[in-house]
Amino acid sequence: MWTKIRHWIDVRIGLDNIIQTQVIDYRIPKNTNIFYTLGFLAVVAYGIQVVTGILLLIYYVPHPDHAFGSVQDIMTKVPYGWLFREMHAVGSNLMITVVMLHMVTVFLMGNYKRPRELTWLGGGLILIITIIFGLSGYLLPWTQLSYWATTIVTSMPTAFPVIGEPISQILRGGDHVTATTLSRFFALHVAILPPIFLALMGVHLFLINRIGISATPFGKIDEEKRPLTEYKRKTYPDGYPYYPTFFQKQMYMMMAYLAVMFFIMTFLPTLFFPSEANIPADPFKTPHAIKPAWYLLAPYQLLRLIPNKFFGIMIQLILIVVFLLWPFLDIQKEKNVLKRPVLRGVFLFLLVMWVVLLFWGRT
Amino acid sequence: MKYLILGGMLLFLFPLTVYADYQQDFENEFLTKPWAGVQVEENVCISCHSSEQMKPEFRTIPEEWQASWHAQNNVSCEHCHGGDSKDAALAMSPQRGFLGSPQYKDVPQFCGKCHIAILTNFLESGHGKALMAGKKAPNCVVCHGSHNIRKAGIDIISVQLCTKCHSYERAKVMKQALFLTETRIGELGKKLEELKHEGVYPETDEQSLFSTQAEFRALFHTVDVNLVKGRTGEFTAKLDLIDKNIQNTYSLLKFRKNFSTLLMLTFAGMGFVIFLMTQKKDE
Amino acid sequence: MNRRRFLKMILAFLGSVTFFSFAFSFLKYLTALPASATAANKITIRKNEIASGDAKNIVYQNKPAIIINRPDKGFIALSLTCTHLGCVVEFNKSRQTLLCPCHAGMYDLEGNVISGPPPKPLTALPLKIEGDSIIIG
Repeated sequence: MWTKIRHWIDVRIGLDNIIQTQVIDYRIPKNTNIFYTLGFLAVVAYGIQVVTGILLLIYYVPHPDHAFGSVQDIMTKVPYGWLFREMHAVGSNLMITVVMLHMVTVFLMGNYKRPRELTWLGGGLILIITIIFGLSGYLLPWTQLSYWATTIVTSMPTAFPVIGEPISQILRGGDHVTATTLSRFFALHVAILPPIFLALMGVHLFLINRIGISATPFGKIDEEKRPLTEYKRKTYPDGYPYYPTFFQKQMYMMMAYLAVMFFIMTFLPTLFFPSEANIPADPFKTPHAIKPAWYLLAPYQLLRLIPNKFFGIMIQLILIVVFLLWPFLDIQKEKNVLKRPVLRGVFLFLLVMWVVLLFWGRT
Repeated sequence: MKYLILGGMLLFLFPLTVYADYQQDFENEFLTKPWAGVQVEENVCISCHSSEQMKPEFRTIPEEWQASWHAQNNVSCEHCHGGDSKDAALAMSPQRGFLGSPQYKDVPQFCGKCHIAILTNFLESGHGKALMAGKKAPNCVVCHGSHNIRKAGIDIISVQLCTKCHSYERAKVMKQALFLTETRIGELGKKLEELKHEGVYPETDEQSLFSTQAEFRALFHTVDVNLVKGRTGEFTAKLDLIDKNIQNTYSLLKFRKNFSTLLMLTFAGMGFVIFLMTQKKDE
Repeated sequence: MNRRRFLKMILAFLGSVTFFSFAFSFLKYLTALPASATAANKITIRKNEIASGDAKNIVYQNKPAIIINRPDKGFIALSLTCTHLGCVVEFNKSRQTLLCPCHAGMYDLEGNVISGPPPKPLTALPLKIEGDSIIIG
């Protein structure tokens, strides 16, 4: 029966040809490693967020008077509401982790280099969008933690002279976090960011497919001679087939991701839920220790440290621009990061500083 | 190309010098203002009463109040003493309802402005009747303090406090009558806190517990042991209901843990099985 | 059977357990209906049981409530749980107000806060008048 269906579709769109080229003949270089599955994991993570998010959307009410109550209802009254809410909350943190790991491994393997600059740029923008997803979603349960963390984060742009205050005003829809803020964060989270994310992801995946997989510099296979002066899709005739080998790797990594998610849900359910996350927002009572979510702690701590706020925020913006445009700035031919001690050193230094600032920001 | 970008970034750095004094403004706005959306306004009572010009015995009051349960619940000077906390000239003016410090005998009415049920019960009690008749008796401040009021608890009934006027015997009997219910209320309160940590917000149960506790403690102020013993049953019934809800929530949480453990194991299992399938073995 | 088949069987088993757990939760989640059990919890009393200006305390869904016969605006049913910290509010007939004995929160007969710490008005309960009777719920 399946054969009949396949044939019906094949007559119309040439399905067999697609399967042949994309699955059977698609070859992966022999020296790839497990980190090559991280991109796929990010897509899976996003898919889980979308599905659980839509389910939550069915019962969530985006108004300050009902937001907290509706989330509580999802957690206590709706059957299995707790399952989807926890998956969404834990999943958001895991997704950001996966996207960041993906970025770090791509960087260390030099896979951003020509001709893959646009892929890196797209990925960098996706990372930023993912963090904005996290930021906007954080406010929606309207808890003490949400409200005050958002107050802090939307005040961070005021570090800019002149345009800082208007930016904060637009973000918040006023002087303080109010129902207006909730509405626009909700619109961002549910309607504005998803199509942008999907578009960027689409471009990113198209580029990967079109240009061809980049082999790591650590194995025997050498990348093509540089510099490239015309388009050539990278193929690996003696690589291993995508299906079943690489596909299986992606599958068990996906299972590992879900196992980690459920491990956290079972044994560490309060990891992302300190007690302020279970109390409704009170605009008149500031809790003692409020801080932004962990992925924003490093920028937050940096702002707190540098006495001149404008300098503080400029440094971060400059770093972000450099990060996004890195493939255009790093045009050295050498791809193997093990042979580039300066780059390795600088990158590791920045990474360690990020982690240090993160932990420092927790105090 | 990269020089263009680097040059552009350098241009950005120049404004830093221009805005060197922006740092000062920014510090005032960013670092010193509280994060609260609503600005906390200056309370003139506190400013005068903590200043150097104030009499030493009055100067300790703001600090004592600061540490109190009232302060944590935004009950400040004017809520009890009247007056205008925003206008220094009219701060202690009768026009703004300033009451000053009440006389010893008038303290119950003073506190009873807000704590109505307790006032009613107190006035009917042996303590209250003695106080109104002008005899030696305690008012609210004797047991609870005046400015550094802490959250009430059963340990206020103590040897040193109650033996100021009579033997500890009757106080002990009362304390025993209260003990079980109070302990249970404490335990239920702790369980509710735990549930909050687990991600559940037991609002109705919290409110129910609070009102049960409030009613029970208001009842205590009659200092009538028989009354307390007689009505303990109805309070216990209310607490039983709250306990049942808490138990239900705990079993709900247990089910969830089991369910997510099951799913975790199936995912880990599938991952492991697929991994095994990738291992080539010579068959 | 050989190893491959064995592994595939286990995978199929685990996969179906997972799939059906999610499918089950999915379906229950989407088809959840609001507590229809409480629809049975209606309270009916006769209009003439409450004189004008007077009120009657009732218990609705295990919580204290009150039906007030307001002299000018007719019947209203309100929850008696104070919105401050949950104490039980009391009806003051002479003053025609509702007063909370814990911290003196005062409400008018619409349930709106007149003075004191309560942050929100009292919850109004659904009330219908059918002929001679008042139905709450």
